[in-house]
Amino acid sequence: MRRRLIGRAATYAALLFAAALIVFPVYWMATTSLKIPRDILRTPSLWPHSITWNNYAILVADKGFLVAIRNSFVVSATVTLISVAISSLAAYSLARFPTRFRGTIGRLILFAYLTPTSLLFIPLSIIMAQLRLSDSLVGLVLVYLTFSLPLSTWLLRSYFRSVPRELEEQGTIDGLTRLGALLRIVLPLSAPGLAAVSIFTFTGAWNELLLALVLITSPGARTAPLALNFLISSDTLPWGPLMAGAVLSSVPLVLLYFVAQGFMVQGITAGSVKG
Amino acid sequence: MSATAHPTVTVHRRRPRLSATVQHALFAYGLVLPTVLLLLGLVGYPFLYAIVIAFTNRVVGNAGHFVGLANFRYLVQSPNFWASARNTITIVVSSDILKLGIGLGLALLVNQKLPGRGLFRSILMLPWAMPAFVVFLIWRVIYAPIGGGLNLLLHATGLYAGTVDFLGERATAMPSVIAATVWRGFPFWFVSLLAALQTIPAERYEAALVDGANAWQRFRAVTFPGIRQVVVITTLLSSIWTANAFENVWLLTQGGPSDSTMVFPVLAYFGMQTMQLGQAAAVSVAMLPALALLVFAATAVAERGGED
Repeated sequence: MRRRLIGRAATYAALLFAAALIVFPVYWMATTSLKIPRDILRTPSLWPHSITWNNYAILVADKGFLVAIRNSFVVSATVTLISVAISSLAAYSLARFPTRFRGTIGRLILFAYLTPTSLLFIPLSIIMAQLRLSDSLVGLVLVYLTFSLPLSTWLLRSYFRSVPRELEEQGTIDGLTRLGALLRIVLPLSAPGLAAVSIFTFTGAWNELLLALVLITSPGARTAPLALNFLISSDTLPWGPLMAGAVLSSVPLVLLYFVAQGFMVQGITAGSVKG
Repeated sequence: MSATAHPTVTVHRRRPRLSATVQHALFAYGLVLPTVLLLLGLVGYPFLYAIVIAFTNRVVGNAGHFVGLANFRYLVQSPNFWASARNTITIVVSSDILKLGIGLGLALLVNQKLPGRGLFRSILMLPWAMPAFVVFLIWRVIYAPIGGGLNLLLHATGLYAGTVDFLGERATAMPSVIAATVWRGFPFWFVSLLAALQTIPAERYEAALVDGANAWQRFRAVTFPGIRQVVVITTLLSSIWTANAFENVWLLTQGGPSDSTMVFPVLAYFGMQTMQLGQAAAVSVAMLPALALLVFAATAVAERGGED
């Protein structure tokens, strides 16, 4: 009994230590974004002495950060819509139809998923220049499909496999076409899976820096990571506005994640129970 | 008459069946066609194009011509190429080991029936929910010599009274990059390992206890076989992603001080910035053999897992 108590105390001590290591950088981001410049550099301390929203004002007014957030949102939402729409068709085919090339196509999609951006960014920048799509959000959407499309196809394929086949067969007997069965039966049943895949796709596009750095040149087309990247390449490092930008860039994603966490887990377990 | 009537009957009987099969196949291929075409155009073609460029002296604004292995000869003679190779391997191997150790340790702790485990699980996954660029910008501020959180923490706890320029000194730059990479990357291991641990039936542990196995023997006989597959696939995926990560080094050190944290993706980006597209592509292509090995292994493991 005593040994169990000691073991439990040690477990909590380890977990609290790990949690502190996780929370400290987040705390540092939040407090730095609220500090006045003197508290950041001249008399630095672990706690803010006075709180200011000035860093946010500078970021939004002088650096046009809201435009960058809007660009990020437009690009990520468009990439998510396109890739979920197209990949759900492909995933359904790969999950349901035992065609001759199914294995080959599945493997190619996995290869595409694992092909790193660091290998593709040079040719993609040349190709986008030839298509006259560099420095445009349309071009950015197009190149982001290189990682979002394979990812969403791969995830949706395993999700569709867990949707019971009987319901579609019932639907086709009731006079639906195969496409009708997909649109009216499979997709609605897969709503949790589609939501989870959409979040992964949106996050991937929201976080991307290298391709944006290579393709986007005009300040008006910058996405959030790109705008913050240019903030640190200036001579004086504006820690306050930089951390304000970090807060604004992560709040949508962290909210999305915490709202969807239970829902996503529920979707995944519902899928495995059905399968 | 009967000889001619017979085929017409069979043809008549077969045609709808045959065309149904063809229709079926056409429908199946029609659904994958947009995805396959887009991936051929956006991944397949650029992939081959990268290899072609690596064998040319292409610069921005001039397509150049075939130069054979000249770019690769240039690379193996340049010290920053070998620095990048060493650093990329160092980051991948050390961060994989740390992520496995930390992720598994925490997964074993959270896998116990504890009050508050849900809260700890959510907190431990927080770095994964945050964008990578945000994470590395935060660490850049934390590592700063003046006003950086880490120096202030060292002072406040009395561990060290001086000031460390974590990202500015050769001795500390690489460990600092690795620490930030591990902070951002361990939750993926933690979640995967926790999910694997939860699939191990409790009866197996009870049986091992009845047999008188101690904690280490239980880990060897029950826990490890249950998570081995997940450890293998996670190691492969994490190695591919870490070897090709750009944000961590770019936002923290840009490869400095003096190449001590330079890695392949950042070196390739610098090559592109100096307009030397052929040489820059050769940097990426030089990684390809090692990368292909990891990708083929990951594909084989993933497909084996998918068939179960």
